[in-house]
Amino acid sequence: MNTTRIDLLTKIPLLKSILKSRFFQPVLMLGTLFFFVFAILTGFFGTPAGSKNFSIIYIWIVWWAVLIIVLVPFFGRLWCTVCPIPGPGEWLQRRGIIQKRYPKLMTLRRRWPRQLKNIWLQNVAFLGMALFSAIILTRPSVTAWVLFAFLILGVVLSAIYDNRIFCRYVCPVGGFIGLYSLTATVELRVKDAQICKDHSTKDCVIGTENSYGCPWMVFPGNLERNAYCGLCTECLKTCPRDNIALNLRPFGSDLLVAKGRSLDEAYKAFIMLACALMYSVVLLGPWGWLKGWANMNSLGQWAIYAVGFLTINLLIVPGLFWLTAQAARLLARLDISPRQAFVDYAYTLVPMGLMGWIAFSFSFVFVNGSYALPVLSDPFGWGWNLLGTKDFPWTPFLPQVAAALQLITLLIGLGFSIAIAYRIGRQHAGSDALAWRGALPITAFLTGVTLLFTKLYLG
Amino acid sequence: MIDQSERLAIIALVLILIGLPIAIFGYQYGLRPALAGVRTIDIIAAAPEDGGFQPDAIEVQKGETVRLRFSVPDVTHGVAIAGLGVDLGHIDPGQVKEVEVTFDQPGKVTFYCNAWCSPNHWRMRGTITIIDPADPDAHRRIEAAPDPVIESLIEREMDIDAPHDAAISPNEPVSAAEGGPLVENYRADLPVDFFDPLWLQRQSPAEAFSVLKETLPNLTDAQRWNIIAHLWTDSLAESELTWAQTEYIKNCAACHGETGNGDGPAAAAINAQLATTAMNNDKVASFAPASPTMGATTEIYYAKLRRGGMGTSMPGFGDIFDTEETWRLAHYIWRLTFAPAKPSPQ
Repeated sequence: MNTTRIDLLTKIPLLKSILKSRFFQPVLMLGTLFFFVFAILTGFFGTPAGSKNFSIIYIWIVWWAVLIIVLVPFFGRLWCTVCPIPGPGEWLQRRGIIQKRYPKLMTLRRRWPRQLKNIWLQNVAFLGMALFSAIILTRPSVTAWVLFAFLILGVVLSAIYDNRIFCRYVCPVGGFIGLYSLTATVELRVKDAQICKDHSTKDCVIGTENSYGCPWMVFPGNLERNAYCGLCTECLKTCPRDNIALNLRPFGSDLLVAKGRSLDEAYKAFIMLACALMYSVVLLGPWGWLKGWANMNSLGQWAIYAVGFLTINLLIVPGLFWLTAQAARLLARLDISPRQAFVDYAYTLVPMGLMGWIAFSFSFVFVNGSYALPVLSDPFGWGWNLLGTKDFPWTPFLPQVAAALQLITLLIGLGFSIAIAYRIGRQHAGSDALAWRGALPITAFLTGVTLLFTKLYLG
Repeated sequence: MIDQSERLAIIALVLILIGLPIAIFGYQYGLRPALAGVRTIDIIAAAPEDGGFQPDAIEVQKGETVRLRFSVPDVTHGVAIAGLGVDLGHIDPGQVKEVEVTFDQPGKVTFYCNAWCSPNHWRMRGTITIIDPADPDAHRRIEAAPDPVIESLIEREMDIDAPHDAAISPNEPVSAAEGGPLVENYRADLPVDFFDPLWLQRQSPAEAFSVLKETLPNLTDAQRWNIIAHLWTDSLAESELTWAQTEYIKNCAACHGETGNGDGPAAAAINAQLATTAMNNDKVASFAPASPTMGATTEIYYAKLRRGGMGTSMPGFGDIFDTEETWRLAHYIWRLTFAPAKPSPQ
């Protein structure tokens, strides 16, 4: 028995019955689909003024804040459980929403290219969106097009390929949720891997008469990390041996799982960290000219910005970290390849990156969160006053507290990342002392990043 | 066979994908206007380069009450309706402001932006035509009525748009306040014309100065200019002055500057544009006490305000201010020239 895990399904039987119900996920997805469609409509037909449009305020402030501050660090991929984007495609594929009615999925049955069975595509998709972030995050119609495109892409991919190809290999949001869910305090695992091993029919993979095989194409018996389990709970409904657990666990547990570490995930860590810094510089910094470049005031200036942005994300941050990881490898006398040191130590950036994003989010949640109230009453900016809050003024909420929270969050991230650096080093180093020596350059790198964030947020 | 739960889920999906848009647009374009009780006209107020007022031409019936709802998509605008005393104040991007108006008289009124919003701000205007069903041509007759002051200027072959250069202008600070006691002291010696409002409207300060030089040879030039400053700025009552000052700031200051020095925030761009064209005036007018201000007259200011400056960037305000309001603004310009005292650019 794992003493650091608490199986919530055993402790809370009601939770287990809810999760085992076939209604659980579709009902939640229909609920979020309602808001998703509403956001698309407000984006397309509402006021172009972002601060008065539901799509901008509720997607990029409210949803984002809930996702990055609450859902990802505590519940991992819980958003993927309720995300509406794969819904229409999956329901068409299954020809049903709640119950399983047909034994096979209705798709063209094409095979997803082997070369793309990783998160490189998600890295590219995220970078692609990040390049246009100053526009996407402020212009409702662009946000609506992005959301609409996701929905259509989900349907198209579901028509071509079995299962949730969009979620697993394409979704730019799913990519970073997967990486950061390695830190989450919740995990879905099997209680006893041997039971799965001995179970010849593997119902959780191929499905049963009343339930589907894992839409995320994951064999729960092999699950050791949160990265690719979408918490759809289908395996809970499928497993005839009652072998699925939903564990409460310590923060950051998966970061120490060596199996599954890969270069695409490492790059995801670099991209997320660099983007958090770049977003802070562009969107929160005092450099109006840079915001103008990112905002495509002219194509030429944006091109320069794009080249700089990609260079920082793909070359400068990874390059600096390569040097740092090699210094750590030498100091700790690790008997691993330079590439493995680079990839393994990259996971130390996960807590730092996550906390950087949380700190970044605090800055606009506290300052601009009050926009949520008037927008609730007048989501299109058409002069509605549904709840009587239309004229609620923009009111920054405790900006001093936001600054303190940002600092605390960054320091927590720094502390966690240093601890992870030591523990990753310890997986290869001959002694504690060597592992700590290896952690020194990583600590220097992380401290530099923390100082940069602190400078940007606190001045 | 579809079971009950599946049917409910499909209904929910259809409601979301089809019912939700129908409900939203049905409410906005059907139920909401019906509940309003009066005809509601939605008007987008965007900078002129993005379409200006949309729609910019509205027709209403005489006696009809309509709700005009202005929404702003881009930058802060101000919306006012000329002649009706309606000023909605600033409307920020995403904000919606509305006003209910009953149109009692046939004619045409102008709604316009009164907050500087773009270099083309002055083009941001729209019209509401009020049609009397009993006399469908009434509004056209009112529109066609000529302005007697402008007609008079044309009859006298006065070129409204030509530069009104003056041979003489003050070379030291002018004080209308000091001019007041001088007028009282020399009231008996001053020509009677100096107390005729019509003469004052038609006379330039430079011309008046020449007259004073002949009639009061013992005064210094500074004293003569102070007398002129007093007479040219004494025509507005306090309330009229406040009104004129407010409207000047809203409508004129962006180009002519808050103090009338021709240095408003829009002036540089307009001057640059004028420099590339063959126009009569190559700069936004300054009202400083120098030529050509000293060669201008109140009625020329009135005419320029009413119908704009031909061949310049000066827009016409004839659709926005009535004749009395235009006179107030024309007189107010002399306040900028003479009071408070300001140094001559010379």
